[in-house]
Amino acid sequence: MELFRQTNIDFLRWKWWAIGASWALILVGFLAIAVKGVRFGIDFAGGTQIALRFATRPDIDHLRKLLDAGRLGDTGIQRYEAPEKNEVLIRVQQQKKEGRDITAEVLNLLRQGVGSPADASKIDLNAQGKDTLAARLVAADPDKFAGKTGETAADHYGRTAEQVIDRRSQMGVFRSPADAASLPGLSTAVKAWLQTNTVAGPFVLLSAGSVGPQVGADLRKKALWAVAASIFGMLVYIAWRFRSFPFGVGAVVALIHDTLITIGLLTLFGREFNLVVVAALLTLVGYSVNDTVVVYDRIRENQRTPKKEALESVINRSINQTLSRTVLTSGATMLVVLALFFLGGEVLNTFALTLIIGIVIGTYSSIYVASPIVVIWKQWSSRGRLAAVPVIAKPTAPAPAPPSQKKKSGRR
Amino acid sequence: MSKRIRWRVLLIVLVIAGLVAGYVITGYSHAQKEWVGSGSPPLSEALKKGIKLGLDLRGGIHLVLQVNTADAVKAERDDAVEQLQTQAREQGVVLGTVEYPSEAAFAVTLTPQTDEKKLDELAKRWLADFNVSTAGGKWTFLLKDQRRRETEDNAVSQALETIRNRVDEFGVSEPLIAREGTDRILVQLPGIDDPKRVKDLIKSTAFLELKLVEQGPSTDKNALAPNGVVPPQMDLVEEKAQTGQRQPSWYLVKHVAVITGRDLKNARPSRGQYGSSSVTFFLTAAGAEKFGAVTGANVGKFLAIILDKRVQSAPRIHERITDTGQITGNFTPEEANDLALVLRAGALPAGLTYLEERTVGPSLGLDSIRKGITASIAGMLLIFVAVVAYYRRAGWNAVLALILNAVLLLGAMSIFNATLTLPGIAGFILTIGMAVDSNVLIFERIREELRGGRAPKTAIENGFSKAFATIIDTHITVIISAIFLFQFGTGPVKGFAVTLIIGLLISVFTAVFVSHTLFELEYGRRQHIDALSI
Repeated sequence: MELFRQTNIDFLRWKWWAIGASWALILVGFLAIAVKGVRFGIDFAGGTQIALRFATRPDIDHLRKLLDAGRLGDTGIQRYEAPEKNEVLIRVQQQKKEGRDITAEVLNLLRQGVGSPADASKIDLNAQGKDTLAARLVAADPDKFAGKTGETAADHYGRTAEQVIDRRSQMGVFRSPADAASLPGLSTAVKAWLQTNTVAGPFVLLSAGSVGPQVGADLRKKALWAVAASIFGMLVYIAWRFRSFPFGVGAVVALIHDTLITIGLLTLFGREFNLVVVAALLTLVGYSVNDTVVVYDRIRENQRTPKKEALESVINRSINQTLSRTVLTSGATMLVVLALFFLGGEVLNTFALTLIIGIVIGTYSSIYVASPIVVIWKQWSSRGRLAAVPVIAKPTAPAPAPPSQKKKSGRR
Repeated sequence: MSKRIRWRVLLIVLVIAGLVAGYVITGYSHAQKEWVGSGSPPLSEALKKGIKLGLDLRGGIHLVLQVNTADAVKAERDDAVEQLQTQAREQGVVLGTVEYPSEAAFAVTLTPQTDEKKLDELAKRWLADFNVSTAGGKWTFLLKDQRRRETEDNAVSQALETIRNRVDEFGVSEPLIAREGTDRILVQLPGIDDPKRVKDLIKSTAFLELKLVEQGPSTDKNALAPNGVVPPQMDLVEEKAQTGQRQPSWYLVKHVAVITGRDLKNARPSRGQYGSSSVTFFLTAAGAEKFGAVTGANVGKFLAIILDKRVQSAPRIHERITDTGQITGNFTPEEANDLALVLRAGALPAGLTYLEERTVGPSLGLDSIRKGITASIAGMLLIFVAVVAYYRRAGWNAVLALILNAVLLLGAMSIFNATLTLPGIAGFILTIGMAVDSNVLIFERIREELRGGRAPKTAIENGFSKAFATIIDTHITVIISAIFLFQFGTGPVKGFAVTLIIGLLISVFTAVFVSHTLFELEYGRRQHIDALSI
């Protein structure tokens, strides 16, 4: 199968249209940022974020009222993941007064306000960890372990507790103590103890995160550094590898272009920026440069031929030669990223979306941003004269000899 | 098979065998640690444990704490004030009021009776760590900078040590407790599913003091300290709030503690009088001697058990007690257990503030792994189908190289003891994308060569050699960005960078070396190839 067979498209003919389109996209992004503002996650903005899974469908309005009673400042509550999973995400803004354990406060408010008030002496199987459960079992000793030889009670009940909590992880959430008591392998005494001494609370804590203002500022600074440093690193590498400033500039402009548009579009879609998204942005930066380098490599190779040829024509030829690779690789990478987008779950969803945007924009920019900039730069520096350009890069290191003996058909 | 190819195949087999063996061995050693059954763990268990999972996949707690080093500096200053006052009293030097302009300084006002010469001698002898400045009838003592830095540094290392003791006592497997920067401590506890309990356990200062009660308890603070002036050598301490109690009670206690947490040898949870939980403590020999002397001389009086500046209880001394005592209160069994634990592990030298905390429940981790694996497998299958459909026979070479890529990556991560995080799974998927790119670059080159009229064998050689420079360029650029990510990234993001870096190195190996060898194995022996299936 072949998609492109020796195409000969005059890509650079539309370079001004492309530049217009790029600016339009960047403007849309800026507008989105100006109107909606960049949404920072707790990693950067600070605050608390809690994800819960309820046993039954939660009433969001009721939960909101419960939270409002706690005077926690600005809180947000929304459904999360697929609706049938009964998951909610709660956000609480950065507190002015330090030392409050917001996570504990939120959990207490909800636990007391949802469902029937549980007997305080009973253990909430959805809230307790295995250590607490084990300690209670040891204290109650339903298997009448005391005095028996062999294994210690702590080991015995520790294993029981672990089985119960593992069961909870498998099921997602217990709906009643019977869910735990139905576990195979438990003694009747333990089953009876579970039935009478435990309750299944309204929800399970999936995750909780809380970032103080100092750490938020630190993380923001680090993320900016990471992006800036990696862009600079790549500029240096490309400028060195291609022995040409315009090429370096072209690649860097292309990736700044990609990053700006992606940030703008993510904001437009109302996505939140956190550490994982920064990782995705950096991947995108790598991907965009990767694409650009492939085209540049071809330009460099084509320029080595003794035949004098206008730069614009060399670039057009190079883009055409690499076109099928560009489309294939983007397509293949897109396949995996799409799999991640649809199957990877909520946490990786924005990561995948960032890459989907990034791959499309990155492919486009390596054809329509990185290369035209080299042409425009050269035209401008030679004041509009479209001169044949001399070889801009000498072969750096001798290319590795083809492993076969047939050297005559090698690269030189 | 030519000799050269034989070497290549041997090298490839060795690398695969080495990494697979490494994975299994690492897996066994991990599984062994957690294996509770008899004998050695089965292979299936070892295969599951080959790669260390990050907190986001395994569940657990990540905490960043700040040590409030000012507390330790303040304690140092207060010790100095006490030292000066005691010595002054003994030497008959009259001192005025003491003020505290900052946590590292105190100022003594002189009275007309103060013997400045004697005070100067005292300061030189007992307060060598302080710089003295005199102005307007006031002597200001400021802790020397170097001493202050030492105090702060000690506070952080001591806090680190104490937290480590507590975590060890609690029994967490593979905890990470490390100093970060000057005054921060990072704590990572995998597998913990009871965040609140652990947080309280780590944070409680656990500063225990036993002091004789002079007066109280009383809800009227003014009765104990008229006009807010606490009598000399006394302290006013609030009682720990009881449930259902509106007004706090206060005790007036002797300033000097009979014994403190440092005199403890051991502590363990026990049952109190009415079956409620309590904590029994045991004293060291020196502590027992002090305790015996004081309790013997004060039979009939009350003794306040003060934990973190709050009176926990104040039992009456019935007789002389030497080496043991009991702390009662409204404890749940867990609270009694944890209090005994922190008393055993020692007190924190300074308060702690939580700067960052992240908890991942075990079910979310399980969910994430499931989804990550599903997405990875689906993505890889999609790529396999696309590559085989597009390149037919040669496509299978790519598929083999990709599978190898995945296997080697897992092996390498296991050997380097790298942690797999959720973003790490994304990094894995991207590595696969890059590996496909390398294959595509090579195959497209070979096709181009074929179109240019080259013989199949020449086309293969040229294709590989021409694509090589590009593959190296693309990989290096991405590795550069991954290195910066590793350098500046935190937590899970670092896991992403690690996976990406290892994956890209392996991708160069599989795409260039392994794929090439596969082609040679397939076509190398034949003298003539009529057509390539590509």
